[in-house]
Amino acid sequence: MRRAVLAAAVAALAAPAAGLAETQQVLLPGPAPYATPSPPLATVAPPPWANLTFRIHSRSDQQVRVGTNETGRPVSLRVLQRLHLTGTGDYLIVVSAPVVDVRAGEGSQSQPGLRRGQILWSGFSSRRKLLAADATLRPGAAAPFLPLRLEARRDGDRYALTITNATGTSQISFEGAGRRKELARLLDRTRKESLGRARLSSAYVTIEGLVTQRAGRSEVVAPLRVEGELRFPSAPSAASGGTISGRTVRFTAVLGDERPLVHRVEVRGGGEPKLHVEAKPTNLVRALTPPSGRTWADAVERRPLPAEALLRRLLDARMELVRSDQYRAFLSNPDPQGRNRTTYVYLTAPASVRAAAAKGSDEASAGGPLMVLVAVGGAVLAAGAALVAWAHS
Amino acid sequence: MRRLAFLLAGIALLTAGCGKSSGSKNELGRLVIAVDVPVTGSPYVAQTIRQGVELATSNLNGGGGIRVGSKSYLLTVKLYDNHLSARRAVQDARRALDAGAAAIITDGTGVDATWQLAQDDGVAICITYDGGSGLVDAAARPNVFRIAPTNHGIGFRYAEYLIPKKLKVALLSDDSAYGREGAAEVARAFSANPEAVALTLTLPAGQTDVTPQLLRARRSGATALLVWGQAPTIAAVLSAARSVGWNVSVYTPPTGADPFIRQQLADHPDWVNGLTFASGRMTAEVGTGPFTSFQSQYESTYGADLVGVKTSGGEAVVQPPEFAMYSYDFVHVLVAAVTRAGSVEPKKITAALNEVTAQGANGDERGFNQHSHEGVVDDDVYFARFQDMTFAPAHDDPLSATLPPIPQTRTQ
Repeated sequence: MRRAVLAAAVAALAAPAAGLAETQQVLLPGPAPYATPSPPLATVAPPPWANLTFRIHSRSDQQVRVGTNETGRPVSLRVLQRLHLTGTGDYLIVVSAPVVDVRAGEGSQSQPGLRRGQILWSGFSSRRKLLAADATLRPGAAAPFLPLRLEARRDGDRYALTITNATGTSQISFEGAGRRKELARLLDRTRKESLGRARLSSAYVTIEGLVTQRAGRSEVVAPLRVEGELRFPSAPSAASGGTISGRTVRFTAVLGDERPLVHRVEVRGGGEPKLHVEAKPTNLVRALTPPSGRTWADAVERRPLPAEALLRRLLDARMELVRSDQYRAFLSNPDPQGRNRTTYVYLTAPASVRAAAAKGSDEASAGGPLMVLVAVGGAVLAAGAALVAWAHS
Repeated sequence: MRRLAFLLAGIALLTAGCGKSSGSKNELGRLVIAVDVPVTGSPYVAQTIRQGVELATSNLNGGGGIRVGSKSYLLTVKLYDNHLSARRAVQDARRALDAGAAAIITDGTGVDATWQLAQDDGVAICITYDGGSGLVDAAARPNVFRIAPTNHGIGFRYAEYLIPKKLKVALLSDDSAYGREGAAEVARAFSANPEAVALTLTLPAGQTDVTPQLLRARRSGATALLVWGQAPTIAAVLSAARSVGWNVSVYTPPTGADPFIRQQLADHPDWVNGLTFASGRMTAEVGTGPFTSFQSQYESTYGADLVGVKTSGGEAVVQPPEFAMYSYDFVHVLVAAVTRAGSVEPKKITAALNEVTAQGANGDERGFNQHSHEGVVDDDVYFARFQDMTFAPAHDDPLSATLPPIPQTRTQ
């Protein structure tokens, strides 16, 4: 009888406590928001009228061609963007970019317009239309948003190329008490979307109790698949980080996805190479592979993986996939829901382009508008000081 | 100390000068827009362009003009008559520049000769009627702009429209400058599909009987006629074909909508039925609302442009103010450029015209850019077909099929 009374008392006490133990649905990263405003490149905000109506959809395929100098620094930048429109209706598209010039790319069914910082398209789509732009960009303005940083060095007959994934950024995240089975299910869903190369779909996670900001910031990097080759005038004698095939050294790497973010190729002999490196934002494989079993649900059944670790992995993986999605559109796609694909190609720029870039940077370091302003400002200040001195004399 | 007193006096004088400048804040400036049109050569074209400009400027002036920095400007229209003569157009351009025009709006007459004069003063020229290809070139003639359907766009759209129909098209043009230019564009557009062309023939402009040429076209196996010429030529072709009982499809450039054709054929309204012309679309995707509103404002100011014919139901037929819309739109783009430039200096305005967009009378966005000075893109060319003296967008073209018809009758 006493026990029954005690149990009833405990139950009575526990009831309001259970009511207080709130659970909440927290939105996970993906498909948005992006961690940084660019990419896609944005010079000016698109005007309000530059929107595709719901009747028109757009898929964007891009090739970004980066001309590099001897040290790997970008000296020229071209983007070939192909917008595949589907649907019937008017379109008025503004692609914001630090564009110097633009012309129609191969197969384009319309001509692009050019304004300061804008590529324009206007017309009517009858079911399908291809808009292809071949745009030259200002490398100084666009290069900071490229996904790779290349650094080439020569030391005697040794040539070294260091390729660094430059997509890293830090982001705040959250933590809380998640439910293991649900987290496993969400990890499996995220993994399936990643392996299927689909854009993440929106998802919520259940958190019991308070949601707090995770201490420190998470380093988020878009995984990149890199393939490249160095063509030498003569056959190199030795290479590391790549394989020699005649006069060519080839290499492949994934930078990110729990792999190193830097790949280094060292070559002995062969002379001055011509560089060709292709990078594509890719999916996550390692970061979402369950520790045992075929799925995360299996893994959670087999051993008690901590919910905290599962939530951290889920959030980190999703933030990296969002970052990868961000780099799939170097120039913007007018359709926010449209599919994007971008290949970044780094090539040794022709000698004339490299020479022009070197001359430009020499002139910039020697003077330029800023120097003129400083000089004029200084002269005005000096004149003012002289006037005051004269007035007080 | 005396020096300091002089200095202070100097500063006081300067300040007084500034005071005078700020006192001019309420002063109204004048921004001159020159309109050079063939008042005595092609009165309908001249009138519609002039009225489009005047309607836009009176609206803007009614709202207090345009504000540039601390000063307001009223728009003033100066009208010149080029008599369809390039020589007169040059004289008019000189007078307009002397009058301080910020821009010249023209039907296109004499632009080959006037653009350089205007360019020397940094003044923009805008063509709102002639679609000739050589007239506008953003690189070679940076001060020439156009808001009107281009011959190139019409030729290209006709090829896109007619070739899939498997028609054998007789390409007819008259020997006017307009006809020759159009013929060149059509020949270019059809050059990749010679099998679609039955015959190419030049007709004498102004000749009222072209029956021999039409019979020759019929013998060539033509199943359609694409006639690029002045309105009298099109009327003559329709008369000749129908009077010999040849009910062939006839396609034309925008001149096919000229009231003159319907007036000429008023006794045989069925001869006009089926006539198809290409032009810039008058309505945008947003619907007929903006254009209808513009049209009613135009008609309440100037009255409806009566064609002079009636439908079978006895209703009077009116001409929608298509070309008035283009000159009206240019004034708005010009004002956007003035605002963007923050100056009434012609060179700055002309440069800013490449960077602005304004909403047009039909709800569409109008603007130019560094690569294209065409305000009507090729994709804006639609096809309309006559029935009972009024026209409606064709149903067998994807763009035209999306467009609603514009009411063209008035009960009297």
